[in-house]
Parts: sequence; structure tokens; C-alpha cells
Amino acid sequence: MSNKKTASIFVSGPIPAQKIADDIQKHSAKTNIGAHSIFLGQIRADEINNTKVIAIEYTAYEEMVMEKMAEIREAFFAKYALTCMHIYHSLGRVAVGEICLFVFTSSAHRRDAIDACNEMVETIKKELPIWGKEICTDESTVWKQNN
Amino acid sequence: MEVQVIFFGSITDITLDNSVVIDGCVDINSLVQTLIERYPALANKKYFVAVNQKMVHENSKLKMGDTVALMPPFSGG
Repeated sequence: MSNKKTASIFVSGPIPAQKIADDIQKHSAKTNIGAHSIFLGQIRADEINNTKVIAIEYTAYEEMVMEKMAEIREAFFAKYALTCMHIYHSLGRVAVGEICLFVFTSSAHRRDAIDACNEMVETIKKELPIWGKEICTDESTVWKQNN
Repeated sequence: MEVQVIFFGSITDITLDNSVVIDGCVDINSLVQTLIERYPALANKKYFVAVNQKMVHENSKLKMGDTVALMPPFSGG
């Protein structure tokens, strides 16, 4: 499996918008690609108990994420006709309005890139041992829950 | 026989530690019992258990040097 990579998905702090632009640019050399699909997760200023979320602090079981991600990656390349797939998730503190998740799938035709991107976002939230702690204006904290 | 137990997310609010070494537990059930004696609030907590980074859904034997993770529901993304 030449597409199987075990590189870490983690980025310390927010994912810079410039990285997203640079990653798109890098793919111009891969001329068999006809479609990209991108999902970006952004920290939302939720209101909790009359206070507002100002940041989320992420922690993870990094070794297990890497192992799990290798399996997931293999399953996705078997299921979808993808040219490539890149995933980045923040660790540490990410402020409201900043990007914490970047999923980038590419394929010859749009359907595979779109479907794989959507399924990957759901898979990340459900299957990867990552936790977010919401930090509020009054410095109180609430452990984030995924729906 | 020692195993390392590591804690994540909201579990660390109970244990106030990221990891402990526990001696003398032959399987996961006895380890969980020992942990609840040490951290009573764990009894009411929902979590998954992984041994050496693999999820386990039922009781299984532990061996020297295993790493057992207690993980509350995930909330990445």
C-alpha cells in the first residue's frame, strides 16, 4: 500500500490558513486529480452557563491515534478511488475563530473526494481518541461532547 | 506484576494524574476494581478501555508491562 502513511496528524495549536493554501498549491503537480474536497473545523463561541467559549484545548492518546489512523486510511483507500488524503488536527489551545481540523481528499472525479471527506470527518469525531476542553471567558472549563 | 494505567480527558479530573503504576492485578476487572477503590468517582464514569492501544470490550488477562488506557467518550474535531 503505497498510500499508507503513519505520519502524525497533529499540529501544535491552530492550523494556519496559509498551510491550507500551500497544500492546495502543492497538488497542482498531480495532474490526474480532477476534484478536491476540503473540510475545515473552526472553534465556535458557544454559550455555556452565561459564559462564552473562548478556546478549546485538545489532548489525545497520540500513539493510539496514529495506529487507528493507519487502519482508517487503509480502509478509505480501499473504499474510495482517492488520489490522496491529508488530515490535520490541532493539539493544545485553539482560540475561537481559528481552525482545528483540516481534511483534504482528492480524486479523479468529484464523488469519491466529496464522500470520502464527509465520512472521514464523522470517523475522526467517532473513532479517534482525542478530547477537547472548552475554556470560557471566566476561565471555567467544560469537557466538550460530540453529537 | 505491574501495569501502567494512563488517563485521558475528563478522567484526569478524577485521578488528578495522567498515569499510575498498579501492581498485582491479573485482569481488567480486578484492575478496574483497584482503580475504583483508589478513585471512587470512577465508578460513575463512562469510559472505554484500551490495552496496548487496542480497544477491549470484555474482561481479559493482563501481563507484566501492559499499558491500559481509560478513555472517556471522544470529542475531537
